[in-house]
Amino acid sequence: MQMPKLRRWLPAFAGLIFAAVPVFAHHSFSAEYESKEVTLTGVITKVEWTNPHIYFYVDVKDASGNVANWAVEGYPPNTLKRTGFTRDDLKVGDTVTITAYPAKDSTTRVAGREITFPGGGKKFAGPAAASRP
Amino acid sequence: MTIRLAPFLAMAVAATMSASLVFAATKPIPRTADGKPDLSGVWQSGGVSLYGEPGIAPPPAGPPPVNPPPKREPLPYQSWAETKSKTLTASDDPTLACLLPGIPRITSMPMPFEIVQTPKEVVIAYESYHAFRIIPFNDKLQHPNDLVPTWMGDSAARWDGDTLVVDVTGFNDKTWISGTGSFHSEALHVVERFQLNSDDTITYTATVTDPKVLTKPWITGALLRRPPNTRVEEYECIENNQDAPHMQVKK
Repeated sequence: MQMPKLRRWLPAFAGLIFAAVPVFAHHSFSAEYESKEVTLTGVITKVEWTNPHIYFYVDVKDASGNVANWAVEGYPPNTLKRTGFTRDDLKVGDTVTITAYPAKDSTTRVAGREITFPGGGKKFAGPAAASRP
Repeated sequence: MTIRLAPFLAMAVAATMSASLVFAATKPIPRTADGKPDLSGVWQSGGVSLYGEPGIAPPPAGPPPVNPPPKREPLPYQSWAETKSKTLTASDDPTLACLLPGIPRITSMPMPFEIVQTPKEVVIAYESYHAFRIIPFNDKLQHPNDLVPTWMGDSAARWDGDTLVVDVTGFNDKTWISGTGSFHSEALHVVERFQLNSDDTITYTATVTDPKVLTKPWITGALLRRPPNTRVEEYECIENNQDAPHMQVKK
């Protein structure tokens, strides 16, 4: 019921801030990743809770049973912490499902978007394609 | 059922996140002992940690800002500079290598910064790129005469009524003014204005001049808000910077 009101707000508001506020502080997201979303399910093998972006790695099995280790990039650690995504959310050995955007230069590297954890909870690890400058 | 509930859940989360951004618009601005506006505290211009996820979270509830910053126009480049600017891509961005973003660009980074104010100087400690600025008050806005060009330049401050004015010069020509390809020369000169508003926001404007590459002054701005429950923390950008090599391979 309130949605039309919110939609009216958005364009007016967008003009108030820098036109191209970066979602990733230090690089252009769209220069590095495709906008088409893919979904991966795999087991976390390693977590790098690091700047300028976190990475975690998952073993993903394809239809033929071959396993490849994928790298998933996310927001900086401080951004994740401030949005309620903590370091403890990513546990080596956990099976997670990830919506993500494939890298332009790699077949096994993605920008992570939404992570579904073993308990069914979901959190955003990185920005949506639509919001990327 | 789950699908039908999702939008309402998202709105509830968003409303919670933005609730602390609501302020009484008529509150007098805080002032220091010497009567100046007190800009001290943590501020931020954008990013998901301040505004939530674009398209999911609504903008902050409550009335619009009392003093919105100006809308910005395209950079008024001289024709040769316009041509050069268009040859630059995201892969040429100096911040890709974790180098200091310069001014005013650093204000637009989606990370908080803290303003520390004394009668003698203002210090701004930025989370992004470990940048800091020590800005002495100096009514004539004089700069040292031994400046060597640097990424963040040299800043001097004075009060214009209730507005903090910061004059910045002494830049190198290696940063970008704003978006992709927005290069400048060492003649870059930036005048920033910080105006504390009754709704506990700061209206930030930066007037950028560079007679070697621009045809006229260019103005940009941002609305600074206090990010709730946020302190400035470490951002060691170079630690695991895998983007630069990945972005070099495809142009």
